[in-house]
Amino acid sequence: MTPNEPLVRWDWLASHAGEIGFRVGEHLELTAIAVAVGLVVAFALSFAVLRIPRLYPPVTTVTGILYTIPSLALFAFLVPYTGLSVLTAEIGLVSYTLLILIRNIVNGIRSVPSDVRDAAQGMGYTPRQILWRIELPLALAVIFAGIRIATITTIGLVTVTALIGEGGLGYFILLGMQELFSTPLLVGAVGSILFAIAADSALVLLQRALTPWARVR
Amino acid sequence: MSGATVELRGVTKRYGSTLAVDELSFTVPAGRICVLVGPSGCGKTTSLRMMNRLIEPTSGEILIDGQNVLHEDPVALRRRIGYVIQQVGLFPHETVAANIATVPQLLGWSRDRIRARVDELLALIGLDRNMKERYPAQLSGGERQRVGVARAMAAEPPLMLMDEPFGAVDPIVRNRLQDEFLNLQRTLGITVIFVTHDIDEAIKLGDRVAVMRTGKLVQYSPPAELLAHPADDFVAQFVGHDRALKRLGLLTVGGIELDRTIDRSRLGAAPTLSPSTSVRDALAALLVADARAAAVVDGSNYLGAITLPAIGRMLRGDDAK
Ligand SMILES: Nc1ncnc2c1ncn2[C@@H]1O[C@H](COP(=O)(O)OP(=O)(O)OP(=O)(O)O)[C@@H](O)[C@H]1O
Ligand SMILES: [Mg+2]
Repeated sequence: MTPNEPLVRWDWLASHAGEIGFRVGEHLELTAIAVAVGLVVAFALSFAVLRIPRLYPPVTTVTGILYTIPSLALFAFLVPYTGLSVLTAEIGLVSYTLLILIRNIVNGIRSVPSDVRDAAQGMGYTPRQILWRIELPLALAVIFAGIRIATITTIGLVTVTALIGEGGLGYFILLGMQELFSTPLLVGAVGSILFAIAADSALVLLQRALTPWARVR
Repeated sequence: MSGATVELRGVTKRYGSTLAVDELSFTVPAGRICVLVGPSGCGKTTSLRMMNRLIEPTSGEILIDGQNVLHEDPVALRRRIGYVIQQVGLFPHETVAANIATVPQLLGWSRDRIRARVDELLALIGLDRNMKERYPAQLSGGERQRVGVARAMAAEPPLMLMDEPFGAVDPIVRNRLQDEFLNLQRTLGITVIFVTHDIDEAIKLGDRVAVMRTGKLVQYSPPAELLAHPADDFVAQFVGHDRALKRLGLLTVGGIELDRTIDRSRLGAAPTLSPSTSVRDALAALLVADARAAAVVDGSNYLGAITLPAIGRMLRGDDAK
């Protein structure tokens, strides 16, 4: 970076306001799709695991291995197949959410007190009603803990997808590094942190709204 | 609402090599309370849970109003039978009102009918209406047990299965809950199968008491009979050495033969008792007053005297029926 350059050039910010807004939207979209698709896949696998418990070890092993692959390596591996695309980005992002989501869904549902499940069965709830009306609501706190971690992780990882032409705010980080220019670098980094904090707070509020019984006492 | 008749015929439950319940047979007449009692692990919960098919018997038949429950859809069956589980098991994420409304809701009652029923039940179990919107975590142990009972009664089942429903509260609250429950059951006329390991609770609540030991039924009789004539040493020991005294607790001074030869004027300083006093309490009153006889008075009407020698004869079992 040039020595006389200020850390933040406010005029640059002002002249790029439109672009910053666009990238924030992109970041939000990449994150939302990844967490939403991750949830759908994780719920499907979790329900399978809850029905057939011996599936749990292989499911956690495979998603655990996915979780440990370095993100750069994973994207590099996918590009020959799916190109520089949103699909490539989302395949990577979704795989990183699975381990934490499945673990929390399965453990959340398993930790529902057995007397409560027993009472529900004894009152004449069907197995499906027990799942939807008893187990899922009571597992919500644990599931939300997983969603929060998955969301924050995803928001950070989205910046890496700038390397394959996506990236949301990660675009500015890449730009700053390429041009040795600190203003976009800071926009990308600080923006992504602020976004993570905002998303986490929104999830906390949503969880509180969905679990009124946890607020009493 | 009125009661169902329950009949067990040779009901057996085997877990591997252990017989949890062994050839259990008895009949509970409609509108009566049958108490299953016995030491921990003797098969009480298993027996109860076979009646609503939470557990499938290995062999035997269970008939409710003559219908074999094993031929019915378990979900529909359970909605017709009230069930209070051993640990209460209220739904922590639902309000008191929603908990009570569980079965009516499953049965598709209208909202208005459910609301009216919830209010009625709250009054019945003596809970304030402003507790409706509370969550179970905001209730005391006794209140939770009442809500558990109300939830089981909500759809007016002709049969209730209750597994130690008053187990988790202190003796004073338990006593009150028992009294309230008895009143309620007498008014509604429902059949109740009640599990406890507390012989005093069994004697107080049961029209019939079924004593179980290692899966087998050892005695099935009315409580007075159980106390007067225990079937074997195990039952005698289980009902306790004070069984004679316990039996006095079942009799009221209005319900026994009084001595009418003693004139009221001779009982000037002696205690006066109302007819609903138990003979056991009468004995205590006599001992405290250091008197040999007490007057039994209904309002201003003198019914006769109860005397220490007469109570002594009862204790020795001279009056045994
Ligand atoms: N699922 C099971 N598998 C194997 N054995 C069982 C099972 N459930 C119960 N048992 C055994 O069956 C017997 C009866 O158990 P049950 O729960 O009916 O006893 P209980 O009379 O209700 O005891 P408590 O007063 O302690 O509640 C016990 O010996 C218990 O260990
Ligand atoms: Mg039990």
